[in-house]
Amino acid sequence: MDVTVPKTPAVGKAPKRAMSDTWYSILLIAPAMVIILFFALFPLGYAINLSFRHVDLTSAVGIGPYVGLENYRFALNDKFFWQAARRTVTFAVFAVSIEMVLGVAIAFLLNGLHWFRGVVRSLLILPLAAAPAAVGLVWRYMYHPDFGVYNAIMSILGLAERNWLGAVKLAMPSVIVFDVWQWTPFVALIVLAGLQSLPKEPFEAAELDGASTWQVLRRLTFPMLAPVLTLVFVLRAIDAIRLYDAIVSLTHGGPGTATETLTYYLYRLGMKFFRLDQASAISLLFLYVTVIFTGLVLRSMMRTQAERARRA
Amino acid sequence: MQAKTFTMADLVRYALAIALLILFLFPIYWMITTSFKPPPDILTRPPKWVFEPTLGNYVYAFEERNFALFIKNTLIVSLISTLLVIVLGCLASYSFARYNPGAGHLMFFILTTRMMPAIAVIIPFFVIFKAIGNTGIGEALFLGLDKQGTLVICYTVFNLPFAIWLLHSFFQDIPVELEDSARLDGYSRLQVLRRVVLPLAAPGIAVTAIFCLIFSWNEFLFAFLLSRDVASTITVGVATFWTQRGILWGPLSAAATVCVLPMLIFALLLQRYIVRGLTFGAVRG
Repeated sequence: MDVTVPKTPAVGKAPKRAMSDTWYSILLIAPAMVIILFFALFPLGYAINLSFRHVDLTSAVGIGPYVGLENYRFALNDKFFWQAARRTVTFAVFAVSIEMVLGVAIAFLLNGLHWFRGVVRSLLILPLAAAPAAVGLVWRYMYHPDFGVYNAIMSILGLAERNWLGAVKLAMPSVIVFDVWQWTPFVALIVLAGLQSLPKEPFEAAELDGASTWQVLRRLTFPMLAPVLTLVFVLRAIDAIRLYDAIVSLTHGGPGTATETLTYYLYRLGMKFFRLDQASAISLLFLYVTVIFTGLVLRSMMRTQAERARRA
Repeated sequence: MQAKTFTMADLVRYALAIALLILFLFPIYWMITTSFKPPPDILTRPPKWVFEPTLGNYVYAFEERNFALFIKNTLIVSLISTLLVIVLGCLASYSFARYNPGAGHLMFFILTTRMMPAIAVIIPFFVIFKAIGNTGIGEALFLGLDKQGTLVICYTVFNLPFAIWLLHSFFQDIPVELEDSARLDGYSRLQVLRRVVLPLAAPGIAVTAIFCLIFSWNEFLFAFLLSRDVASTITVGVATFWTQRGILWGPLSAAATVCVLPMLIFALLLQRYIVRGLTFGAVRG
């Protein structure tokens, strides 16, 4: 392109500055910010408005009058809401802790491989990239009590066959197993990256001092890995409480409401029963909790991580 | 470095690694093989491991469900939203990396919008798009319920924060000195951005774009709730095989394979950057 480039500003004249850095930086972020602000704040305002009104799209009421805190009162007294909240927490606690333990173990295992580490690592990526809504349905087939491959394996092993997704007590653990399958590699890959970026010197020094493997792990490896472990944990926790695709494809919240998490309950209340007022109130409670949790925890962490990365 | 010998410990390690790979890859293997099974072999007890492969399930998926349309929709929606995200994301992210407007607070605000549960905003989205759909603007821009433009906007809004964060980490890797010396050579700020910064950030931009493509392609919640059939994407298409009368496992596996395989290939392309992408740029793998 032939843009004439002035070599030096003319002597005696102040260099022509079209715009200050501040304005330039604001101009650059403006288009993105307009979109983000509009689609983050407008729906929020809209939901807040709905949450104070009586709204029932299935009746003649439509978007009705303001009812004060009535919908929040409903939410806090709603048995199904609390059950769904408890299920969501149970799911998140079990799924994320299993994924963390397994993922860290796998990361150490991979770190110890001298050959083919790259191959194993790349193959482990695959579950992560598969759309949960699609593989979830495949898992439903694999869990099938009659034609499913898991029951076939159980009977080969001489174990009792089970109705994985159909039994009230088993459905949630089966959903957790699916989540563990999909997300353990996520933990493993990030922790592996953390392990590989640890400095060598402290470990060589510890070896010279005759420290035991356990001492090295407890005093060196884990403290140095702590920031990465926390980051993985928080990212997983945020995703786990938003679980939706897997529930739709595996169980539709069933049997009964055994696997109905908050997101699925909100879907039922808002998009099936069209009680937009109550759904909005619950959405907002849910949103506040997640955003506060995210804001508080991620803030300091992402910053320190980025700092470390820049200095490295 | 001394040559490594294969020890007893290595034997255990590799045995474990192989076992792990079998565990984690088996569902994908099962999905692909099921998609080639003739219908009678799908509903057998115990399941068949050896069978005569057939393309029948794929034919069914494409003929009975207009799968070509779902793929076309997904491609349109993912490509356009990715393009938008990259253009807007690059500008914003470069600004954050170089000038840091908002002193970090704005960046965090952006990150928190990404962490919102999508279901919590779906009701306003639903109402807004329903309203826009009946207006002239809606007609012109394909906005409204069951229209592709709606999904383009949703995916743009949800991928933009991710892209800004990931790109930020790439822009930060570019030494400021390079930009300063280009400025001294008389380049304008826009020229610096276009001729120095963007070419240097090209690999990072490509990585971010592939991540956005994967996220849009795999997205389900918005597509499921904001489209019915005209604008349905591939993940919703797979779910249509769960019908009132039961689940059509064969075509479902074929559809799922079509949905999943391209993304697996993309993920393999990304593998050097996968950790960086998955942590929004915070951990450099």
